[in-house]
Amino acid sequence: MTTAPPPVRMPAWPLSRSAIWLWVTQGLVSALALGVAATVFTVFVPHEGGPLPLLRWAVPAAAAVYAVVAVGIRPVFRYRVHRWEVTGDAVFTLTGWLTRTWTLVPIARIQTVDVTRGVLQQLFGLASVAVLTASSQGTVRVPNLELDVAQRMAEDLAHRAEAVRDEAT
Amino acid sequence: MTVEAPPTPHARRTSPLIVLLHTVTFRQARGFVPAALGIGAAVGVNGGRGAVIGMVVAVTLVSLATAALSWWRFSYVDGPTTLVVTRGLLARSVRTVPNDRIRGVEVEATALHRVFGLVRVRIDAAAGAVSGKEEELVVDGVTRAEGDRLRSVLLTRRPTRTAARPEDDAAPEPLPAEEEFAHFDNRWLLYAPLVGGYLVLPLAAVGALFRLADELPGNLTPDLPGPDALDARVVAIAVAVAVVVLVAGAVVGAAVVNWGFRLTRRGGSLLAVRGLITRRHTELEIDRIRGVTLAEGLGMRLVRAARVSALVTGLGDAARRGQLLPLGPREEALQLGHRLVDDPGPLHRHPPAARRRRLSRAMTPGVVVAVVGAVLTATDGWWWLLVAGAVLAVLGIPLGLGRYASLGSVAGTTSFSVRSGWLSREQAVLQRRAVVGWSVQQSFFQRRAGLATVVACVGAGSGGYAAVDLAAQDVPRFALAASEPWAGTLEPRVAAPSLG
Repeated sequence: MTTAPPPVRMPAWPLSRSAIWLWVTQGLVSALALGVAATVFTVFVPHEGGPLPLLRWAVPAAAAVYAVVAVGIRPVFRYRVHRWEVTGDAVFTLTGWLTRTWTLVPIARIQTVDVTRGVLQQLFGLASVAVLTASSQGTVRVPNLELDVAQRMAEDLAHRAEAVRDEAT
Repeated sequence: MTVEAPPTPHARRTSPLIVLLHTVTFRQARGFVPAALGIGAAVGVNGGRGAVIGMVVAVTLVSLATAALSWWRFSYVDGPTTLVVTRGLLARSVRTVPNDRIRGVEVEATALHRVFGLVRVRIDAAAGAVSGKEEELVVDGVTRAEGDRLRSVLLTRRPTRTAARPEDDAAPEPLPAEEEFAHFDNRWLLYAPLVGGYLVLPLAAVGALFRLADELPGNLTPDLPGPDALDARVVAIAVAVAVVVLVAGAVVGAAVVNWGFRLTRRGGSLLAVRGLITRRHTELEIDRIRGVTLAEGLGMRLVRAARVSALVTGLGDAARRGQLLPLGPREEALQLGHRLVDDPGPLHRHPPAARRRRLSRAMTPGVVVAVVGAVLTATDGWWWLLVAGAVLAVLGIPLGLGRYASLGSVAGTTSFSVRSGWLSREQAVLQRRAVVGWSVQQSFFQRRAGLATVVACVGAGSGGYAAVDLAAQDVPRFALAASEPWAGTLEPRVAAPSLG
């Protein structure tokens, strides 16, 4: 990591802190699934032949590394990267983990605003907001905001988009 | 979408001749083929001329019946503000499309359609969330005159203009002056063998032939000499024949698709006509064009040929319909592009760090293979993998340099342009108003190299056009210069307060 400044401005607001716990839970679930698969692999694969002896310890080791990263490191890292902001004329987010993506969409070009709540998100009282435009690539997604923040944001954006909408394409 | 009763509510039907056409092509009956095969297998059709004739008659009758039924159940009404299409064999479906949602109308006539004097009208209705084929309404089998009437009525009856014009269904309005934008010169067909898409055509044909040959009964296949006859001369002749077939096939394929291509402007829309066997008329609204792309594949660059497509908002099947010049000399293509979108000026090169990144990305696979090869050489004596890796890595150098040479971007006063790709290089020239958002991507390696990729999100074409590996500090300036003032949000704040 270098101290090079980011290419564009950082959006101002962080996500809900509960997002960390949601990501930890998701990491746990996928790590468990992977652990089961790795266990099955070590139990059922024969002991000899080609690269199998190597794989017999490499596969569980890889699974263990994944579990540590997915549960212990990635959630905090993600939380520190993710930011969002609604300015006077645009919606602006920064998402990602290793690859960072800033997305900026002007309110005048917003077509629809979606609020979705997954099963796990409901447990943590979170919701995701997706702001869609005419372009398939120009979608702003803010994951894991507190439910009331997400709803207020969606209402506000939809209202303002209607007021300033131009052709929207 | 509100359904309002149109004041001229007489439903129109397609021509009954279409029943014949669909019977011949088994259009509706195709859906029953798997079922029919299953029944045939169950009953056990074991030879016998009678059984075969019976099958053929039955299939034809089923085809006739379904074609007649679907003709009988199909009708359309082109009201003053909406188009209503009613259809469905068992489940009825009524689709109502407001005229201002219609983005394009295409009139096409296959060879069979031309025999019967009919056309097929495809109406591209921007239904929004519905994707794929559902966006398209097809009125199959109206006369050519009716097809032209539908096209002009649907595209000219805009809400803004209907207010001024009294409704009169029968009389077609006087055609506005035409201006020719481009027409196809048959010499350009010679470019076809250098274009990947056209080379695939003869390959597909050859593949189909082989499958046919496989299914021929044994006594019909000629006795081919065994492999012992394959000396160098035979191989050389075979290769030469294959090349000639490929080249000829590509030229013929290009001719079939592009014969008599002509692009004209008529009032506010562009009209493209083309095709040898199936004639297609495609109409695009100039007002909805947000930019153009200039595609030059590796082979095309050798002979300075290019292809131009328009980026039109809400156009389904844009790759085919948006074509403005299917194949032609680069100068012609550039001129045509600049008639529709202002020239933003010559492209700027991307920084040297971008060249290093292209090079390292192009060489990485070869280096990885070489390292694995080195390990294997030490352990098992597999030296050939090491050699292959080294060759791949060396070949990566020209590839990386070529990819870097393709990169470029520029922002002009009313338009901007980005270019990338090596095997199929594509340059997009877009209007400022086309941008509906920006996406700036920076991977771990790009961050270290001080680069970033900027994607202009556009509601047309592929949805996004990227300036790959721009210098990170140039990103906000480029975005602001290439779109409207809202992009200023990206500008880093001077002395930003550090937020926890």
